[in-house]
Amino acid sequence: MVQEYLILDIVIWFGLYLIVCLSLNIEYGFGGIPNFGRALAVLIGAIAVGGIINRILMIAFGITGGIVEASGTVKSVANEVIAANPVVGIGILIATLLIAMIFGAITGALFILPSAKLSEDYLAITLLAISEVMFMVSYYNTDMIGGYYGVSVPNVLAFVPGEQRLMVFAGLIILIALLVYLVVIRITNSPYGRLLKAMRENEQVVEAYGKNVMTIRIKTVAVGSAIAAIAGALYSFYSVNVIASSFSRVEWTFYPFLMILLGGLANNKGVIAGVFAFVTVKILLIVYKYEITAALHLPFEAVWLEYIMFGILMLVILVYKPEGLIKEKSIMTEPIKKLAKAKK
Amino acid sequence: MSVLEGAIIYSNLLVLLSIGLTITYITTAVPNFAQGSFAVFGSYISLTLLRIYGIHPYHSIPVAFVFGGLLGISVYLFILKPLIKREAEIVILMIATLALDLILLGVLGAYSDYLASVTKKGAKKFIFTPYDFNIANLSAIFVVSILVITFILACLFLLLYKTKFGVALRASMENPALAEIMGVNVEYTRIFSWFLSGSLAAIAGCLLPFRQEIVPLTGSIIIVSIFAASIVGGLASIYGALLGGYIIGISESFITYQLSTVLGSGVLVYSKVVSLIVLIITLILAPQGLTGVRWRKIKWFKSILSST
Repeated sequence: MVQEYLILDIVIWFGLYLIVCLSLNIEYGFGGIPNFGRALAVLIGAIAVGGIINRILMIAFGITGGIVEASGTVKSVANEVIAANPVVGIGILIATLLIAMIFGAITGALFILPSAKLSEDYLAITLLAISEVMFMVSYYNTDMIGGYYGVSVPNVLAFVPGEQRLMVFAGLIILIALLVYLVVIRITNSPYGRLLKAMRENEQVVEAYGKNVMTIRIKTVAVGSAIAAIAGALYSFYSVNVIASSFSRVEWTFYPFLMILLGGLANNKGVIAGVFAFVTVKILLIVYKYEITAALHLPFEAVWLEYIMFGILMLVILVYKPEGLIKEKSIMTEPIKKLAKAKK
Repeated sequence: MSVLEGAIIYSNLLVLLSIGLTITYITTAVPNFAQGSFAVFGSYISLTLLRIYGIHPYHSIPVAFVFGGLLGISVYLFILKPLIKREAEIVILMIATLALDLILLGVLGAYSDYLASVTKKGAKKFIFTPYDFNIANLSAIFVVSILVITFILACLFLLLYKTKFGVALRASMENPALAEIMGVNVEYTRIFSWFLSGSLAAIAGCLLPFRQEIVPLTGSIIIVSIFAASIVGGLASIYGALLGGYIIGISESFITYQLSTVLGSGVLVYSKVVSLIVLIITLILAPQGLTGVRWRKIKWFKSILSST
């Protein structure tokens, strides 16, 4: 039974992190945009659930009051409706994902605008600062998504019996992650993917060929943020509540960077490898934290060990294996594949 | 402690932190994301000395200075130098300092648990205000922070402008390749800058608990203000750090307080938003920071406007 939960946990986190890492890989791996504010887009996905969908449902069910208390009522009413009528639950899920993607894309496009005037290092600092401040605002402001109180979220799978919920949710997340993967492969294995790599290597050359670097950046970060917002929304539905503190920089910016560097930059298969390796270790650490603390006689909590370990892992990758587990390959679009065949 | 007093104390500490950030940026071209955790490292040194040996935090400043400096040097030698040798890109170096920040967070968190179990007193959250006293109607931390900042700036000035080492240091900041040809060992200046960065941050960390509560995570919260201060002043100039530290420090505490008297106390939690807004305005108007602006050109422009 414990093993079953363990595997489902790994599957769920694998799916969530895969979505975020694929989005970051488009931006940083392919495009070379140092998005140190990835966590913001994930938070936007959570706001779409906790702040927007909750309010829409409040109007639909005629519930009034502050978002924190009202979200509890919304949850219980919505759960009953969904339990009786599964279509409503699926409808809410799809509508939320669309809203999350739209808001993600808009914030992403606005978020990258400072890059017009800034060099790489200044840009990274600015993006990190914006993301960090938005994180603080949504934590302290109780009107948006309940701040430090958090808000409840309807269970979109309320029609599934309790004991099967985790399994169905894992299936749902993996399905969506797979769809995202297929879409991302199509986006990157194309002339556009090649353009992104060209931009990463030399912006002047791209400009000289008549492409506007700023437009490419805005498009790329909009797409990336839309994808990352999906993960935020799914995570909120899975945990059935939203609290800003779960969207920290470490969990949603640093760890994704660690996973894509571990797997290999600009390489979608590498992302799968990196995410799988990382998530397995992380979940095992969380599940067996008491056993680990006891066995090693640690005089402190295991979460600190997790930080130290993953920090060191990142440094080891950067120094000893900067190319990651799987090396970057050249992009094979259809015409190139034909050319390659003809040569053979 | 009056609001203005608090704002000046905070600004003094912010200046210490942003000078450290700027000086390592000038010599190694890495914006150090772990600068905030360097400060928390200093806070835990003074907490340890206080809890175990009963040493007053003001007396632990020299110890924090030395240990902070050693931390700075080891960060450079063991983490950044190998990467720079491999000609890693600047973003990779920045990711390395993010990783370092996470490691420091883990180490400090683990240490706080350990210290708590040794002293039987919580160490995950602490503040030094009960240990402060008054000097002629002013809080001691106000006087101490001003003395510390004056002393450090004076030493820095003497070092940079009155010694041979200082000349070499400035030369290698200005143009490392040329300085190397002239026989300056650029490596020494880098090591020195990391020592200084770590030690100044540790001093700031020693004094910060007199003004705000410290938790292991404090470093990743104040890093936004440190970067804002350094960038507003101009990342390429030590004077910029001084200027930016006061601008951000004052606006974050004093202006936020003034806003709260108009808009209600709810505004107080958004002090970091104020520094972010100042940061973004600076980046749009003067990406090189205030010290990067060519003021003479603007004055000349103004005089034309006034004469016509």
